[in-house]
Amino acid sequence: MAAVVEAKNITKAFGGVKAVDDVTVSVEAGEIHAVVGENGAGKSTLMRILSGIEFPDSGQVMVEGKEIENSAKDSIDAGISLVHQELSLVPEMTVAENIYLGGFPTSAGFTKRKEMKKFAQETLDEIGVQVDIDERISRLSVALRQFVEIARAIARKPKVLILDEPTASLTPAETDYLLSMLERLAKQGLAIIYISHRIPEVFRLCHNVTILRDGKLVYVSEIKKTTPQEVINQMVGRELKLDLESRRDAKPGDVVLSAVGIKAPGVNDVDLEVRAGEIVGLGGLVGAGRTELIRAIIGADNKTAGNVHITVDGKRQQITSYMSAMRNGVAYVPEERRVDGLAMTMSVTDNVYLPNRKDLAASGVINPAKAAKVAKELADRVGLRPPEIKREAGQYSGGNQQKIVIAKWLHKRPSFVVLDEPTRGVDVGAKAEIHRLVKELADQGTAVLVVSSDLPELLELSDVIHVVRDGKIMGTLDGAKADEKQVMGLAAGEKLVEA
Amino acid sequence: MTQQDTIQLGGGELSLWGKIKLTIARRTEGRGVALLAIILTVALLTEPLVFTAYQVTLGRIALIGLVALGLTAVILMGQLDLSVASTLAASGVVLAIIPDLTLGIIAALLTGLLVGAINAFGVAIIGINSFIWTLGMLFFLRGVALVISNEAPVKLTNADAGIAFGQPLIGPITPRILIFILVFIAIQVFVSRVKMGREFYAVGGNPQAAKDAGIPVKRRIFTGFMISGFVSALAGVINTLERTAADPIAGSTVLLASFAAAIIGGNYLKGGRGSIVGTLIGAGALGVLQVTLTLSGVQVPVQQIFIGLVLLLAVTTDPNNLRAVLSSIRSARSSRVKVQKPASEPNKSTAS
Repeated sequence: MAAVVEAKNITKAFGGVKAVDDVTVSVEAGEIHAVVGENGAGKSTLMRILSGIEFPDSGQVMVEGKEIENSAKDSIDAGISLVHQELSLVPEMTVAENIYLGGFPTSAGFTKRKEMKKFAQETLDEIGVQVDIDERISRLSVALRQFVEIARAIARKPKVLILDEPTASLTPAETDYLLSMLERLAKQGLAIIYISHRIPEVFRLCHNVTILRDGKLVYVSEIKKTTPQEVINQMVGRELKLDLESRRDAKPGDVVLSAVGIKAPGVNDVDLEVRAGEIVGLGGLVGAGRTELIRAIIGADNKTAGNVHITVDGKRQQITSYMSAMRNGVAYVPEERRVDGLAMTMSVTDNVYLPNRKDLAASGVINPAKAAKVAKELADRVGLRPPEIKREAGQYSGGNQQKIVIAKWLHKRPSFVVLDEPTRGVDVGAKAEIHRLVKELADQGTAVLVVSSDLPELLELSDVIHVVRDGKIMGTLDGAKADEKQVMGLAAGEKLVEA
Repeated sequence: MTQQDTIQLGGGELSLWGKIKLTIARRTEGRGVALLAIILTVALLTEPLVFTAYQVTLGRIALIGLVALGLTAVILMGQLDLSVASTLAASGVVLAIIPDLTLGIIAALLTGLLVGAINAFGVAIIGINSFIWTLGMLFFLRGVALVISNEAPVKLTNADAGIAFGQPLIGPITPRILIFILVFIAIQVFVSRVKMGREFYAVGGNPQAAKDAGIPVKRRIFTGFMISGFVSALAGVINTLERTAADPIAGSTVLLASFAAAIIGGNYLKGGRGSIVGTLIGAGALGVLQVTLTLSGVQVPVQQIFIGLVLLLAVTTDPNNLRAVLSSIRSARSSRVKVQKPASEPNKSTAS
């Protein structure tokens, strides 16, 4: 069977570094082809080349045997549609307008709005998503935006659909729906290229898998003929023990954080305790109110009721604001590291300096030698790669950025650390290192609270798991004995059944 | 694995009131409308002359609003054009130094288009921030206007044509008001109905998405700046004709007034959000306010204080800003309550 799309010997370098190095991929009609690799392996660059946004230094892209020129418009016309990882909708335009962005139906320059809305509705019906087509994107949930993005790709009647991490912001139910939808589309003859970190999805959905590492193609296989372990090994290029069973020996001490009767928008009367040296996990579905809960606890957002106390060295202090939380040794690693966690244009040293001003600028003037020394130590400790502390944070990959966010809080030896989705969008290697860091923190006697939608991660890290739904704790599980089914059951609203 | 046919993620049927609320939430002109209503009410109670002398009021709105309409096209794309007032002055002088009236008008309007093209070149091709580039053009064009006019107002050769131009055509509609209305309709239709104009929102709202969708972003930026330049030049032509002379320092208040009109009308300076209707409402509010104050005998400097206050009010009552203000008030209050009422000791816990 002939390939619908073929990328032949694609090479692309950015400033001397080969992001994609002589890669050849071909996909047939009706095939779902996974492209996997660590962050920075070249997947996204390859997809941007396929969709004409980036130009290769050498090599060619063929659609049904015809070479396409390198322009976004040409690729779209040839039948390649890309669903971006970073949502690329226009926030103040309507659903219908976004679906037809760049290709409004017109007569004499005027937009034919009725026609556009009719087509948009048909496309949404086709993929089975119900949404008001006159609604502005900025008023939709992240999940809904993701589906609109897919509708836009489908509306172009593509021969090839490329999806880049489409499930990153979806709940398990939505993910499930999306995967069934893609299976249906493939059966209708669409060629699909599926980029994901999530190995189980790849094994459920895809027929073939291509693995990239450091820009090079290292492995191609039929899914049936390989195993998740093999795929992960090829991705990281070394034997990585998938040791989800490697639990640490927790020795919880005194209660460090105690939160009582917390109420806030999206949070409904929650009590919570975290002990020194203990890792408490908050499980649940996206939108269950976990982020709202932790932000209310540490005072980053306002709570309407409840009290929070932190006990450090036997001294019990009430937390009324984020400032008072910081003073009492609370460290917060937020979900949106691009927005909340890092100053992207500042160096690693400067980012490390920010929460450690008192120590590194004791007299009010920064002590550059000390700041550099501390930054260097922390960079080594978290395994930053490359460990260049003068580099801008924004130049690091997602996994390494997350390491910087964690590193900057380690200098002060925090009493209580809160991590919200610490490994979202992070590659397998960096994920293992972040897990090691979190465990190390707890072993040193820090109280740790982790929000994670990644079930294996939650089970591996947590000593105690609270499952949150509708802003309430629905059940509490022993981290050592809990399994994925129990967590999902509680998250989805089943009663806790004692095993 | 559950196999559904559709997935419901929001939306659903709404009551009539729900639909009305939804429509209001979706529009960007809300605070402009509210402000205009307040100003109209105050004017009606204190200075009804504002409505009887509507010719004056309309003229003032047209004066403030015309440049703002062109400027909005640029703002929608997330760009700024600080050179509008200088363009107005320069094109006015160009009109006055050319003896032939028709030729002069054509030359003046071409000046505006040229300025727009130069602005777009700097912003889209060279890639300079539009604030900086058009700030440079602001000084450059003001200088050009002063040099070619010899630093003094230039009398229009055909003064009779100018005087005739100031007279009403039908009822109270002077050519200025008529041109204003026509420009409003043209740009409104352009950005809401014409494909190219509608894409301005995409360019301002998410430039990368616009580029990825195959929209020629640079060409749209050229169109936007050329609209702004052309409309500024048109305002310069009208000013020169009505006054039968071109003042090289004309339009000193135009720049700020037109930005004020656009902002009061709900246009988001970062682009992608707003409307031409909003700008019209903003210009209306400012115009009525100015005329009311003038008729009440308020001195011009004091008027500026009022306009400043209205602008600040408009910006702080933006729904997003308002939410921030309210939540900070609430948090200040709640923390005070906490001081007065010491926290009760926690006596229960679930985490174990």
